Amino acid sequence: MTPALTVTNMSKSFAGPRVLDSVSLSIEPGEIRALVGENGSGKSTLIKILAGFHLPDEGSAEIAGQSLHLGDGAASEALGLRFVHQDLGLVNSLDAVDNMALGVGYSSFRGGIRWRQERKRVRAALAELGYHFDIRQTVDRLAMSERTALAVARALTPRQAPAKVLILDEPTANLPNAEAERLYALARRVADSGVAVVFVSHHFDEVFELAQSVTVLRDGKQVITRPVAGLTEDQLIELVIGRKLEEVEHDVKAAERKAVVLEANGLGSDVLNDVSFVVHAGEIVGVAGITGSGRDEVARALFGGVDRTGEAKINGAVVPKLRPDLAMGMGMGLVPAERHANAAFMASTLRENITVVRPGLHFRGGILRKSAERSDVAKWLERLDVRPRNGEFAMSDLSGGNQQKVVLARWLRLEPKVLVLDEPTQGVDVGAKSDIHKLVDEAAAQGTAVLVASTDHEELVRLCHRVLVLRRGRIADEMSGGRMDHDLITAATIGRDQTEAA
Amino acid sequence: MTVDKQTTTEPDVEREAGSHAAPSRRKLASVLGLDRFSGLYVWAALILIFSLWVPSLFDTATNVRIIAGSQAITAIVAMGLIVPVACGAFDLSIAGTLGVSTCVVIWFQANHHGWFLGIIVALLIGLLVGAVNSLIVVRLHVDSFIGTLGMSSILLAGTEWITGGSQIANGVSPTFTKIGQNQLFGLPLPVFYMIALAIVLWWLLEYTPAGRYLYGIGGNPQAARLAGIRTGRITTSAFLLSGLVAAFAGVILASQLGSASPDVGGPYLLPAFSAVFLGATQVFPGRVNVPGTLIAIFLLATGVKGLQLAGAPSYINDLFNGAALIIAVALAARAHAARRKA
Repeated sequence: MTPALTVTNMSKSFAGPRVLDSVSLSIEPGEIRALVGENGSGKSTLIKILAGFHLPDEGSAEIAGQSLHLGDGAASEALGLRFVHQDLGLVNSLDAVDNMALGVGYSSFRGGIRWRQERKRVRAALAELGYHFDIRQTVDRLAMSERTALAVARALTPRQAPAKVLILDEPTANLPNAEAERLYALARRVADSGVAVVFVSHHFDEVFELAQSVTVLRDGKQVITRPVAGLTEDQLIELVIGRKLEEVEHDVKAAERKAVVLEANGLGSDVLNDVSFVVHAGEIVGVAGITGSGRDEVARALFGGVDRTGEAKINGAVVPKLRPDLAMGMGMGLVPAERHANAAFMASTLRENITVVRPGLHFRGGILRKSAERSDVAKWLERLDVRPRNGEFAMSDLSGGNQQKVVLARWLRLEPKVLVLDEPTQGVDVGAKSDIHKLVDEAAAQGTAVLVASTDHEELVRLCHRVLVLRRGRIADEMSGGRMDHDLITAATIGRDQTEAA
Repeated sequence: MTVDKQTTTEPDVEREAGSHAAPSRRKLASVLGLDRFSGLYVWAALILIFSLWVPSLFDTATNVRIIAGSQAITAIVAMGLIVPVACGAFDLSIAGTLGVSTCVVIWFQANHHGWFLGIIVALLIGLLVGAVNSLIVVRLHVDSFIGTLGMSSILLAGTEWITGGSQIANGVSPTFTKIGQNQLFGLPLPVFYMIALAIVLWWLLEYTPAGRYLYGIGGNPQAARLAGIRTGRITTSAFLLSGLVAAFAGVILASQLGSASPDVGGPYLLPAFSAVFLGATQVFPGRVNVPGTLIAIFLLATGVKGLQLAGAPSYINDLFNGAALIIAVALAARAHAARRKA
């Protein structure tokens, strides 16, 4: 039988090392193939090449025996290669029929759209995938799995050629468990109809649940392609991270247990589900998790940047939700992720960026005392080694690392009881990163309770006394002491239950 | 939670670090103040040009008085506008508020309710307009441009209703007209109101926490919120203030004119916006500010007056203000892009 998709010796580099290095693979019609690997292993590059976004340096691809003209999205679509990207590409304010027509057009258009016929066609396409919902609802009212089904149905719509290969990029990243099950059923139906299904995944449980075979990429190279049968989860994790998992004894800081300062009880949001934990004075607690696990919501939910259910307390006093000003007043500070959007005032001076919280500290006798403000700012720029060390420079004049230090200085200046950091070293150079780590250590040493959410697991190991691992909105694991290790954290975030293994 | 106040000020060390690190390529320009005070140079150039061009008409004390007096009200409206613009909100209803306020004060006198009560009611209406504007923008999340544009039309309807569509001028108290028409040291009183307001707003924006919050919200509302600033409350205060100041300008205008007609406010809108945005290229480039706005007002007024005296047609006023607004915003955008690149 002719393979549905063949990729031969595909390589690609973006000004530097190869992000994809001679990858070859072949997938049969009706096969379900999982494509796994850490961030930066080359999965997305491979998919983007097939979708025509990138042109490879070398290599070729065939779809059902026909050679694919690379770098041309329309050509791959014409041959029957179809994609459902993680964001699904649906327009929330339109209904199912209109979304189906995006990019394909209305099939019954002859001087006017025949709505009855269109709806019939869309219902039939969804029914084939096992879905029956009100297609006149706008997409934003649909359940996540229904949206995914709609995106898949659209991808499978016959165009010049029927769909032969369906590529799903992290299809369940945003799905709750029950809905993920429905999606598995959907993928099996698609495969049963003879279409090859490739799905990119970070969830190993779904690899074992759904895939017949798995291709592992690491550092741009293909590590292995093999049937899932006979593979254990431990083996797969080793293949992905490239090392044997060992419980290394690290020289981690002994957690000094003092009074509980920060207490979270049953935090919930769109993503978070009953997340409870405590942070003691002087303790640094990490939060790990893949995208969509809720890792990125904990910090803002605590501080009041996003809505939440459940309770947050500082020294026993309840922090009201959605009130950053009160959270701040109670002694909490937040260094949010994505500095540009959430923390930096790019056109303002460093001085104003630092004293934007509590400028009143320098407000005496009805006047903001600028000389007092300047000397205070100078002190902090000195302490954090910000360069240039001049408070009158604009924030936009600084490198990312120095900007991040300024944001950190803003909160350290208030000597907070609780400091919440979200991706504190995102886009920060190595030197500044180690400086920031030292500053966080110092703050904790002075009794601040610190919570750090990060995708950088080395950072968590470096900083934290304990690390909470989130999966699908819940705390799935907690690590401390000798069990803390970059690889073990990575393994825990993508699905191996360390508590049972240990 | 307190910061060590014992820290000794070390101005010398600080200044040294500053000059050491400052970019040197634009040193000469910054010594001359070309980057921050270019408006003053242009203004001086305009005065010089017109003094040479139409010396008999331009170069007179009367002219200085006329320009200062006529621009005082525009300047007051513009300074009120600075506050919402600083926090990233437009208030297009200022001219409407000014118009309503003018009409209310005159109407009260025409109907024998007294000018003092008229002033109080006019100022309260200004606050009310600000409150409704902030409700629309902060609570209902309507874009401030659209929300206040709608409000300005509603206010225009209000002036039509109050005046019955025509000018009212009867019963105006002579005491009341003194507020706007008397002089002190040879300058009309409104010039002093303008100066007083400028000092208050200068203090508010530069020397109070509220000023920092306003600019913070204007710079990055999301970051401001996550820095514990109550963005809704501050924006509301900004609209209240611009409404109040516009109403105050309306009272002065009523006193200056001694009459009110429904279309009295309209002509103040564009000059105020032009001045605020042109002002943002001056003194503290990149942010709207009080001294910059004042420079811009008198720069534009001098240009217009000079051209008029030199025989330019009357439409030069609108032409000049419109062009100035566009040029000012284009200059600001360019400066912003240059800063981004650096």
